Amino acid sequence: MSLVVARGLSKWYGQVIGLNDVSVSLGPGVTGLLGPNGAGKSTFMKLMTGQLAPSKGDIRVLGEPVWRNPSLYHRIGFCPEQDSFYERMTGAEWVEALVRLNGHSDDDARARTRRALAMVDLESVADRRIGGYSKGMRQRVKMAQALAHDPELIILDEPLSGMDPLVRRKTIRMVREWGREGRSVIVSSHVLHEIEAMTTNILLINQGRILAEGDVHHIRELIDDHPHKVHIRAEQPRALAREFLADDGVLSLALQDDALVVETAKPDAFYLRLTALAASGACGAVREVSSPDDNLQAVFRYLVK
Amino acid sequence: MATAVRPRPTSMMAATARIFDLSFSQMLWSRRSILLALLVAAPVALALGIRVVSLVAPPSVFRVNGGVIGGDTVFGLMVWLLYIRFVVPVLGVFYGTSLVADEVEDKTITYLFTRAIPRGAVLLGKYLAYLACTVLLILPSLVVVFFLLAPIGQGSIGGSFPQLLADLGILAAGLAAYGAVFALVGARFKRPLVAGLVFVFGWEPWVLFFPGYLKQLTVAHYLQALVPHAMPADSGLAGLLRAFRTVPPASWSLLALGLIVVGALWLAVRTVERREYVLEQ
Repeated sequence: MSLVVARGLSKWYGQVIGLNDVSVSLGPGVTGLLGPNGAGKSTFMKLMTGQLAPSKGDIRVLGEPVWRNPSLYHRIGFCPEQDSFYERMTGAEWVEALVRLNGHSDDDARARTRRALAMVDLESVADRRIGGYSKGMRQRVKMAQALAHDPELIILDEPLSGMDPLVRRKTIRMVREWGREGRSVIVSSHVLHEIEAMTTNILLINQGRILAEGDVHHIRELIDDHPHKVHIRAEQPRALAREFLADDGVLSLALQDDALVVETAKPDAFYLRLTALAASGACGAVREVSSPDDNLQAVFRYLVK
Repeated sequence: MATAVRPRPTSMMAATARIFDLSFSQMLWSRRSILLALLVAAPVALALGIRVVSLVAPPSVFRVNGGVIGGDTVFGLMVWLLYIRFVVPVLGVFYGTSLVADEVEDKTITYLFTRAIPRGAVLLGKYLAYLACTVLLILPSLVVVFFLLAPIGQGSIGGSFPQLLADLGILAAGLAAYGAVFALVGARFKRPLVAGLVFVFGWEPWVLFFPGYLKQLTVAHYLQALVPHAMPADSGLAGLLRAFRTVPPASWSLLALGLIVVGALWLAVRTVERREYVLEQ
């Protein structure tokens, strides 16, 4: 059974093409949507969640057309990319209000909110204002609102962006578990290693077109030929730099204010080491890890040649 | 956390009530409300000044065109000139145009438009929150102004009190009408605040000075007919304006305001239901 079926789907914004004649069918399980920024991932997700209408072609989600079909929306959970909230509300108030909008009673919404916040490890700060949350907490509370009403299809747009390594690892694990439990998840990222950690089933998208779909491994080989850049905001970036100095996979290190920018030829080994360092606290707190999309851009440039 | 039971789709009315719940306190304690609270405090400060002058000067100090006027007339003038012609439209334009636009600009509209509710309920719920919020802002200001001005001269609080109630109703009607019009402007235009300000400070004052039917395309025209205070207007210009002015009966004005509210909201809901809101990346 296909959860999302797109036929000749195109979306343009005036002169700009967001998605170009996409025909694809996504089945159950975890599917990764991989592409650089501006590739059309978010446009595709907005079409899947009924926020945008197709300019051409059509898209059906869970067997139904999705544009202007709000009765379908309680079957979909969407975690958007943008870091936007009602800052003065607490995490619990915000999630509960959104669950209530899906038709749940007050008591039910409260119980679901608590469960969802527990799933993303935000129980202890549930009653704190979102405005005071760290970037990672904000990402997680967004995930909680997508999960709380127990949707059949969960759509996550760049969910790992800005998370610290420990939360990132936990989130990856959580998405994998959902897949094992039989939930369907579509997750986007511009970082292959993130997607690869969650699923082997990927959809490669660039310039509004689907370039490839299927197993991640052949893409993997391509990306390994390209250096991978990682931006780490940390309490002690110099100490982190010292740790990585002797690492033979590391090609370059640069300090930028409270951040360290590392270029590595062995991203897997690098992320493992970084997570271990963050967990041990040997180099202070690691606040945020992000990966600029030029990593993937290089691979895509190579692919479309 | 799997549960087989699915909730029933939320009706327009229930969804509107839930959006109202979500939006009201957000709106009431917003920076915009704090700024606009200062705006509604201005007439209070003015009334306080007038009251202080009335205590130290002879009662005949308040004159219009040679005639001595009482506190109730001063109050009436303030209701018309300050509240109905300025404060109410300004509240309407600043809140009304932002009902959808703020959510789009803050990119929080995504959370509302991906819920199992009709999109129109988002607009209606936020409109009701606007109405409750602005009524809470403006009415205390008007009551304080009334108690400061009514006793001046031969005026009495008891005698003028029914007038206060009528004025409260007129302000609420004005807020409802302007809010609905600007909710439509906010749903339809990319720069709704500019369009709203042009309507309030350009179009309305301009067409009210001209004979003909154009003034019927303003909200102020109908509100004006509801203001029962006798306006002191003995100047040549005022005479000219009176000659041109065709003030509709109060019943017709109420009906027209009702139609403006219903019509503008219907169009605004229709717009929100059909329009794509593309968030800037």
